[in-house]
Amino acid sequence: MKRGYENRIELLQGTLDLLILQTLQWGPRHGYGIIQAIRAGSGEVLQVDTGSLYPALHRLERKKWIKAEWTVSENNQKVKSYQLTAAGKKQLAAERSNWERLTAAMAGILNSPEGA
Amino acid sequence: MKFWRQRKDEELDAEIRNHLDEAIRDRLARGEAPDESRVNALREFGNVGLVKEVTRAMWGWATLERLMQDLRFGMRMLRKNPGFSLIAILTLALGIGANTAIFSVSNALLLRSLPVPQPEQLVTVSRGDGSGEPLSYPDFRALRERNEALLGLAASHFAEVSFGNGIRSELLRGELVSSDYFDVLRVRLALGRGFLLEEERSAQPVVVLSHGVWQSRFGGDAQIIGKTITLHRQRYTVIGVAPAGFNGMTEMFRTDLWLPLQMLPQARPLFLTSLSNRYDQLFAAIGRLKTGVTLPQAQAALETINRQIEIAEPPPAERQRDPNEDRALKLTHPQGINLPHFRRRAQQATALLFVVVGIVLLIACANVANLLLARAAVRRKEIAVRLALGASRFRLVRQLLTESVLLGLLGAGGGLLLAFWINRVLMALKPPMPESWGFRLDLQLDATVLGFTLLLAFAVSLFFGLVPALAASKPDVVHALKDETGVQARRGLFRRFNLRSVLVVAQLAVSLLLLIAAGLFIRSLQQMQKVDPGFQTENRLALSFNLDQEGYDEAKGRAFARQLLGRMGTLPGVQSAALANYLPLGFMALAEPVAVDGRTTPSDSQPPMAAAQRVGPDYFRTIGTPLVRGRGFSAEDAPNTPAVAIINETLAHRFFPNEDPIGKRLRIGNPESNPLRREIIGVVKDTMLRSLGEEPMAVTYRPLAQQHSQWLTLVVHTAGNPKALLPAIRREVQALDENLPAQEIKTLDEIVAFSFWPMRMGAGLVGAFGLLGLLLASVGLYGVMSYAVAARTREIGVRMALGAERRAVLALIVKQGLTLSLIGVSLGVLLALAATRILQRFLFGIGANDPVTFVGVGLLLTIIALVACWIPAQRAAKVDPLLALRHD
Repeated sequence: MKRGYENRIELLQGTLDLLILQTLQWGPRHGYGIIQAIRAGSGEVLQVDTGSLYPALHRLERKKWIKAEWTVSENNQKVKSYQLTAAGKKQLAAERSNWERLTAAMAGILNSPEGA
Repeated sequence: MKFWRQRKDEELDAEIRNHLDEAIRDRLARGEAPDESRVNALREFGNVGLVKEVTRAMWGWATLERLMQDLRFGMRMLRKNPGFSLIAILTLALGIGANTAIFSVSNALLLRSLPVPQPEQLVTVSRGDGSGEPLSYPDFRALRERNEALLGLAASHFAEVSFGNGIRSELLRGELVSSDYFDVLRVRLALGRGFLLEEERSAQPVVVLSHGVWQSRFGGDAQIIGKTITLHRQRYTVIGVAPAGFNGMTEMFRTDLWLPLQMLPQARPLFLTSLSNRYDQLFAAIGRLKTGVTLPQAQAALETINRQIEIAEPPPAERQRDPNEDRALKLTHPQGINLPHFRRRAQQATALLFVVVGIVLLIACANVANLLLARAAVRRKEIAVRLALGASRFRLVRQLLTESVLLGLLGAGGGLLLAFWINRVLMALKPPMPESWGFRLDLQLDATVLGFTLLLAFAVSLFFGLVPALAASKPDVVHALKDETGVQARRGLFRRFNLRSVLVVAQLAVSLLLLIAAGLFIRSLQQMQKVDPGFQTENRLALSFNLDQEGYDEAKGRAFARQLLGRMGTLPGVQSAALANYLPLGFMALAEPVAVDGRTTPSDSQPPMAAAQRVGPDYFRTIGTPLVRGRGFSAEDAPNTPAVAIINETLAHRFFPNEDPIGKRLRIGNPESNPLRREIIGVVKDTMLRSLGEEPMAVTYRPLAQQHSQWLTLVVHTAGNPKALLPAIRREVQALDENLPAQEIKTLDEIVAFSFWPMRMGAGLVGAFGLLGLLLASVGLYGVMSYAVAARTREIGVRMALGAERRAVLALIVKQGLTLSLIGVSLGVLLALAATRILQRFLFGIGANDPVTFVGVGLLLTIIALVACWIPAQRAAKVDPLLALRHD
């Protein structure tokens, strides 16, 4: 069972929120869809755990960054899908710029001669 | 909330179902076999229950939800075992109730603030650290005028004032106050106004009445403002009436009226020039802090002014006091009693009582902990099942603790009821002070007390609940599920119920400590009752007159004394009557230097001092103090006859060890005042002058006729109940002077009872709580022994089947219990030997290690422990081997 996790990267605390918001930027999705989108988008590297995803979705919903809607799927099933709110869009922008600053800083350290 | 919650749960279920469905569909599309795809999808998803649990946690109030769940489950468990719950709750109620009651005493005596707006801003200003010396008026004025830290500073001096309305005269309790008194306290008068600055500057006869006096003496007359009343024979104009419930600065004693402090010389002639004297420290000062000013800041500001005063006006040579004397100012928030001496006493007494009820609570906790441990054994299986199903130990401990807290809260509820009742009893036991002082101890279960009780309930719940909860949730699943209760039973006497045994031993030890403390108090009371005060108390009444305050001069005072005795002599029911300047057991004695004629004291040493009383004819006969030699004073001893004196045995032994003192001469009084040379005409037995059981003091007696006193106490020895004669005595006094009030009317029995009161309270309260502790501890021992017998039923059955006699079984169990008891008693004795030393100052006539008490209490506890073991042992001896072996 452990073997399946070998090539995956542990998600940094807080990055899951960013990933979810980013994924929802392209339109409403349900939980399973978000996992699939992140996996596909990361070239099968990022596998989001359901035990992290659903608490995160419900937390973001509580913070009113995303809102949930019950829709009917193509299989005629009631599906809970999430979509970004205006506040969520703002939050996404903020988190994105944070993330870019962080990766720039990380890159700076990793690429400096002393950092090696 | 429940519906919302249910909907959220259903939605979450649907959401997860969808997730799985889609995952399965994807796998099917990829060509997986149907059952394989389902298993794989589930595996990929992970633990469905766990995902739900952590997601639910995001809804915000999951903690509360879980708490409600725990509470509901806890209630169910308590209802399932009503016997257990009832005993535990009752036990806790006893412990918590005792503590709540004692806390409400200390709340009333030490914590409660004055019932005025924003009491937290108030500060009292006194001199000297801790002793709480009042301020002189000039110092008070300087502080009031110069400080910038206080919104205002008010002064107050307590004085009894005689109030006469022509029909009866009585003493009222007054406060002489500065003009801003009511403003500083922010007391809004019910009628009229407070004092003006002019009324403080120049003596203006105006008065503010208390609501109580206004109602009882003037029938709540709405037109009272502007009317005049007579106080110490002077007309005063009523300018205001205080609101109901306002009792002045001495919250615990009644205050009847307020006068401007400039009236001090009229109200108390003794203090004729005190208002201008920087060293007559008479005034309690109370101020209100400006907003934003802290107590230390105000303290520093006032201390600066204080030091400026001391520098500007250094004390004159004759005022040079002890250089160590603390003249610094001390600011404190007024709480409870603000008389430093009484406050210290109250602190000591409540501290002692807190230790006592604290021990009672510990015993109660140990009992409940024991019950919980016993129940944990019963619930082993239930708990093991929950552990096996994946409940975390933390969750289980929390569940068990929630049950404890429930018990604690229910116990606190019962405790409050109990405390309410104990408070009634305590209020009835208030010190036997004269009715006229208006002393009231108002024990309320107010917000502070309720907060204390709630806090106590939580603390106690953790205390008795944590160890059993940890013990119960120990993951020993395999044995428990296999129903192996016998695992522990094979490990010998003390391992068998080791934690419970420790608890019982501790209970017995501390309850022994309590009982020894109670025993010491009871023995002290006995010793005190054996003390001969040196006078008779039965059928004797005393009342005092303050003639100075009533404007009498010496001639008028002497005439009054003579006429009063004459009237008493003819009153039916009076056996004898006499006058004295003060009576024994009045907590104080005036001392004066004594010089024996013909003996010189070295000039560098202090002259010997002796207590001095002045008494009239028949005094010793009236009060029942036997004359050992010579004669008592008679009407013959007058100002113009030879000066005489009587001494007591202690003085005779000290000054005339091998001589006959009769006929010897001595001088009583300050040598500089050139006192008369007096001939000793008699020796009387020693009396206790200040308090019962004191070391006898040397005492001199002079005839009142030769050394008059304007403070007179009349003692009457009556044929029957002395109180019945009081109206007649009052009538005779009023016939002499209708405006003369008598103060401190008491029977000598009451005076002695007042001396006994602290010891009686100590013995009563510590004794009652000690018995409570004993009761709880013996219930605890009984419970543990019963449990032990139940746990050993099979073993006992085997023994009996193998031929053990009933007596052997009985002995087996009793021995087990007695071993525990003796360990407890021995530990208790050791504990008591170490701890009772702090009791010494409360005791009388015995040491803190009084052997009678220790042996007596030790035996008592052992016997009670024996009984507590005997009953379960009897049950063990009746075990039917056949039934016992079939047991389980």
